[in-house]
Amino acid sequence: MPSRRRTLLKVIILGDSGVGKTSLMNQYVNKKFSNQYKATIGADFLTKEVQFEDRLFTLQIWDTAGQERFQSLGVAFYRGADCCVLVYDVNSMKSFDNLNNWREEFLIQASPSDPENFPFVLIGNKVDVDGGNSRVVSEKKAKAWCASKGNIPYFETSAKEGTNVEEAFQCIAKNALKSGEEEELYLPDTIDVGTSNQQRSTGCEC
Amino acid sequence: MIADGAEDEEKWLAAGAAAFKQNAYYMQRAIDSNNLKDALKYSAQMLSELRTSKLSPHKYYDLYMRAFDELRKLEIFFMEETRRGCSVIELYELVQHAGNILPRLYLLCTAGSVYIKTKEAPAKEILKDLVEMCRGIQHPLRGLFLRSYLAQISRDKLPDIGSEYEGDADTVNDAVEFVLLNFTEMNKLWVRMQHQGPAREKERREKERSELRDLVGKNLHVLSQLEGVDLDMYRDTVLPRVLEQIVNCRDEIAQYYLMDCIIQVFPDEYHLQTLDVLLGACPQLQPSVDIMTVLSRLMERLSSYAALNAEVLPYFLQVEAFSKLNNAIGKVIEAQEDMPILSAVTLYSSLLKFTLHVHPDRLDYADQVLGSCIKQLSGKGKIDDIRATKELVTLLSAPLEKYNDVVTALKLTNYPLVMEFLDNETKRIMATVIIRSIMKNKTIITTAEKVEALLELIKGLINDLDEPQGLEVDEDDFEEEQNSVARLIHMLYNDDSEEMFKIISVLKNHFLTGGPKRLKFTVPPLVVSALKLIRRLPVEGDNPFGKEASVSATKIFQFLNQIIEALPNAPSPDLAFRLYLQCAEAANKCDEEPIAYEFFTQAYILYEEEISDSKAQVTALQLIIGTLQRMRVFGVENRDTLTHKATGYSAKLLKKPDQCRAVYACSHLFWLEDHDTIQDGERVLLCLKRALKIANSAQQMSGTARGSTGSVTLFIEMLNKYLYFYEKGIPQITVESVESLIQLVKNEESLTSEPSAESFFASTLRFMELKKEKGGAIGDRYEEIKL
Ligand SMILES: Nc1nc2c(ncn2[C@@H]2O[C@H](COP(=O)(O)OP(=O)(O)OP(=O)(O)O)[C@@H](O)[C@H]2O)c(=O)[nH]1
Ligand SMILES: [Mg+2]
Repeated sequence: MPSRRRTLLKVIILGDSGVGKTSLMNQYVNKKFSNQYKATIGADFLTKEVQFEDRLFTLQIWDTAGQERFQSLGVAFYRGADCCVLVYDVNSMKSFDNLNNWREEFLIQASPSDPENFPFVLIGNKVDVDGGNSRVVSEKKAKAWCASKGNIPYFETSAKEGTNVEEAFQCIAKNALKSGEEEELYLPDTIDVGTSNQQRSTGCEC
Repeated sequence: MIADGAEDEEKWLAAGAAAFKQNAYYMQRAIDSNNLKDALKYSAQMLSELRTSKLSPHKYYDLYMRAFDELRKLEIFFMEETRRGCSVIELYELVQHAGNILPRLYLLCTAGSVYIKTKEAPAKEILKDLVEMCRGIQHPLRGLFLRSYLAQISRDKLPDIGSEYEGDADTVNDAVEFVLLNFTEMNKLWVRMQHQGPAREKERREKERSELRDLVGKNLHVLSQLEGVDLDMYRDTVLPRVLEQIVNCRDEIAQYYLMDCIIQVFPDEYHLQTLDVLLGACPQLQPSVDIMTVLSRLMERLSSYAALNAEVLPYFLQVEAFSKLNNAIGKVIEAQEDMPILSAVTLYSSLLKFTLHVHPDRLDYADQVLGSCIKQLSGKGKIDDIRATKELVTLLSAPLEKYNDVVTALKLTNYPLVMEFLDNETKRIMATVIIRSIMKNKTIITTAEKVEALLELIKGLINDLDEPQGLEVDEDDFEEEQNSVARLIHMLYNDDSEEMFKIISVLKNHFLTGGPKRLKFTVPPLVVSALKLIRRLPVEGDNPFGKEASVSATKIFQFLNQIIEALPNAPSPDLAFRLYLQCAEAANKCDEEPIAYEFFTQAYILYEEEISDSKAQVTALQLIIGTLQRMRVFGVENRDTLTHKATGYSAKLLKKPDQCRAVYACSHLFWLEDHDTIQDGERVLLCLKRALKIANSAQQMSGTARGSTGSVTLFIEMLNKYLYFYEKGIPQITVESVESLIQLVKNEESLTSEPSAESFFASTLRFMELKKEKGGAIGDRYEEIKL
């Protein structure tokens, strides 16, 4: 089969609860921000059309629950991701420390074909808080982490003020496109699928 | 039937996925060649895989996600088809030809999504149709996933405020109705699972239900994300409807999870404004629901909300959040008769943290919480659940942590009453927590009244409690605890002597009734406190206001005598002994002769009666001689008695060298440089001669016992004493006596065999040379000594 032009790009956003994953997505997709905290349950996606090199793509952005107890079904939706966005809160060391866990968990569960080169993007969010005075993770520290993980692109954003959000997602889309994650190549055998299927199916007739 | 082993399940998933991929492949090929009919055929076959009953929720989700991804491609194809002129209405009809209902409904939802996008019919009509059609699937697992597919594809097509699908006919009300309906149906499916299948599979079923819970909860997340769900909409529609479903489903798992969801997905400000309703639902839940965790999380959220947004504090007061929570907790505990004590305590602990954070200025609230807690605990005796005990410690520690000041906690009248519910060991732990807090924050407790209250709190460390038989407190722990009490004493202080005296009197009363074991730890610092107080007292007759001071040195000395007297003699009589001497010295400074004499007498009695170890005697005697030497307060008679005894003790020491040293040390008792009434050369000489005699007999003894040395050192020491008094010009110490002593040492044959003695002697001689060279009156005296 000739390689079809890919038009759908799947992006997964991961990070501790409260770092602003949902806020970033809402700011990017709907240009909206709310100060209220509303926990995410399970996984949820929004789509956005992006133009890139004269082509139109649909970005499918999966926002996930940072609270473990709201991720009861597991992470089957990781499959087929083209880019993984890791988010931490620059005012919370713990959220930064947990990045390793999120990254590793993703690589294990999504098992991309080339884990070494799978595109990640790191976002340090909430740079606006307290005029930057309550910041505890320095840009240097974050960049060093990115360097140690194979030069992950890094953005510092404020979902609240919209700072750098567009830029970050531009980069995310670019990297997703480049990721080279091919869909599983499938070559059918010669069995007539119509009948083989019927034989095997044992579910009730609903 | 779900396959028994995980292995089987893997097999089923693999088989399902293979068939799935094959159909997906043909579907894609049909799409690529714009063949709608085939695309529908193969997609329906592909979706048939979702009809399986063999997979657990996790594996089913895996398959579902594959379908989900493929359906996105189909959706794009549908969209393209409509652009190419295919009527969306026809498409919507067409997909309904699929043979099996489950594939049919997935395709219908997908087509419905396109239908809404084309806006050829009001979104609400299509959504309503879809949510109704989904009733066709009553199998819980399949139904839940199908409906969550519906929720997902409709997510960005709800006629929310500001959405492109909002219109005259479509309002946010329709969006809310749609989500609520889907939510209700999903919850019913989810609850029904509990009652299907044999009873023995209950555990597995509950595990599966728990995996599926987020599919149901997700609807609440969707509701919370709707722009149009403002406070009014939430209060009037969303919350009552959701709660109604939660309460009526009478399912423990659903109730617990969904209450948690409500709290987490909706904003704090909504909770604050609807506390009545939310809390009102709690007592209506099944008695087995872990309401404790639910409410604790609510309070946690509200506390941090208040902590981060100072401007919302007035609302907390306005809606009387505290009393509502307090009442609700009371009701819940009442409603859940079997609620374990741990849960009740945890609830109050969260409530206390809540009020400490939100209303730090309202101590009465904190006290109320403690009061409610007592009400729950009373009649149940001491708590024996370890975790409940721990939680109670957390609860009691909260005010200390919050205020960093035990004085504030002391104002909570219910605080000590709560402590009563702790077992003895925990009481002690709590007491150390309190003391640690005081030390860490350097809190000074300034009044006797507060000290009294504090001692009440830490009485586990102050008193012997009735320990159950066989429960011995660990020795090291005990020591550490008592040392912490000792350190605490220094934090109890007032500049005002009168109040300070009251403070130490309170301490005395408690310590003296607290059992003898701890006195050796607590009395010394109390003595120090009392002695410090004496030093601060105005000098007698120096009282400018003529006010009769109620605290006098005499009174404090009396106090001191009482506490030292209480010290047990075993196993360490020297402690009381030292303290007596310290007091004697203090009395000396205060010019209180009879008191000083009394303290000395006490010390002597202890020396005579209790200190029997020879080494201890030596050090004790050194202390006596040193102290006595510094005493100025004694008249001739008292002084004579005391010095006489001291020299007597010296001569009675067990070992000759000790005797010798003690006796020559006594010589200092008779010649005080700065005190011309105590300059008795005769008796100095007497002492020295006596010491010399002892040294002689020591030498004879060591001569008989070959190899034992040391007596020559004694002679050199004697020589140094002689030189000391000779230099002072005491007439009785003659130059001849010095010379003959030098000669004696020189003749001593053991001198050369003892390097240390030899160098000691050499440096003594060098010292004399130096004095000579310095000249002056002293130099002259040294000049007279012929070597
Ligand atoms: N000041 C500021 N606040 C932000 C920013 N981004 C998010 N927040 C706030 O942080 C809180 C949490 O944001 P969410 O986007 O819900 O966090 P999340 O990562 O999706 O959390 P989970 O869904 O629990 O995983 C909300 O109260 C937001 O208003 C930001 O850039 N600046
Ligand atoms: Mg979120």
